[in-house]
Amino acid sequence: MKNGMQKLLLVTVIGAFALGGCASTMQYGDAGSAKPISTEFGSSDLQQIAEAMVDSMIIFPPMVELTSARRPVVSVDKVKNKTMQHIDTESITDSIRTKLIRSGKFRFIDRTTDDQTIEELKTQQDSGLVDKKTAVQFGQQIGAEFLLTSNFSEIRQKVGSTTDVYYKFTMSLKNLKTGILEWSDEKEIRKVFTRGTFGG
Amino acid sequence: MMRQKHNFVAGGIAAAALVALMGLAGCSTTAGVETTGKTSWDEQGARILEKNVVFNSSSLKGDLQIVDLRGVQAGDIMRAQATLRSRDKDTLQFQYRFDWYDAGGLEINSGAGSWKPLLLTGRETKTVQGVAPDPRAKEFKLKIREME
Repeated sequence: MKNGMQKLLLVTVIGAFALGGCASTMQYGDAGSAKPISTEFGSSDLQQIAEAMVDSMIIFPPMVELTSARRPVVSVDKVKNKTMQHIDTESITDSIRTKLIRSGKFRFIDRTTDDQTIEELKTQQDSGLVDKKTAVQFGQQIGAEFLLTSNFSEIRQKVGSTTDVYYKFTMSLKNLKTGILEWSDEKEIRKVFTRGTFGG
Repeated sequence: MMRQKHNFVAGGIAAAALVALMGLAGCSTTAGVETTGKTSWDEQGARILEKNVVFNSSSLKGDLQIVDLRGVQAGDIMRAQATLRSRDKDTLQFQYRFDWYDAGGLEINSGAGSWKPLLLTGRETKTVQGVAPDPRAKEFKLKIREME
């Protein structure tokens, strides 16, 4: 009995040393790593969604045709977050917008900076500081031809020590003039977490 | 008493070995597979894809086989596809990414790509696809590594 206790103690001590060798380190990580840490929405999930949406959109044949001669102007709508998590969904649409701009296929208007734009234009018009010839006039902006809309949902199941989370991100490109959805796609992600015997 | 001590030492060594093994497995880094496809044109002007596969991990070489590699154009955007086959009977977890290079061999959006998870069930064949970030891309590199 005593022998058993001693062994247990030894294993614990060595275990603590071994763990100590791996724990408590500080280092830069890979910003693009796909290693999941929890079933919560993570950085890799965001990157996977953004890449999947952009890849699908720029190779969709009608989009290839549409963007071959011109770069349509698109506006991005807020994501309808139907998950139970608080997620910075603007970060997802920001990634998607950035990739689409960098593809050279689309141009975007940004409604989130309108207040600053109005303030700047007012200053240019009214402050008397700016040369009237170079001051930007109101009512010159280009209206968006398309609206990028998205839905984000989650189905969470928990049985015993297993947590299974299914995410679905759906995105559509709506023609604002005709109301037709010109493109749509969805990205599914499934994350399964099984709690180990030692709580790992 | 003597026997007890012997048991104690043996148990200790076994435990130490086990923990050390776990420790190594937990902190080890793994190399991966790199495979490249490059678009070029032959004398008749037909598009050809030069292929190249480099395994710099012997364990991955045993686990994974690259069956097919191809690149096509969607408009002016290059698309790539690789067909992978698992040689293992168990489910394997990998991560992969496509890197893109322009005609001069310079990487586009260097370091910006993200790894994507890849789940291969026993002996399964699966394709992975990548789309170039912009029309400059003429060459791609597919990297595969174990899930850390």
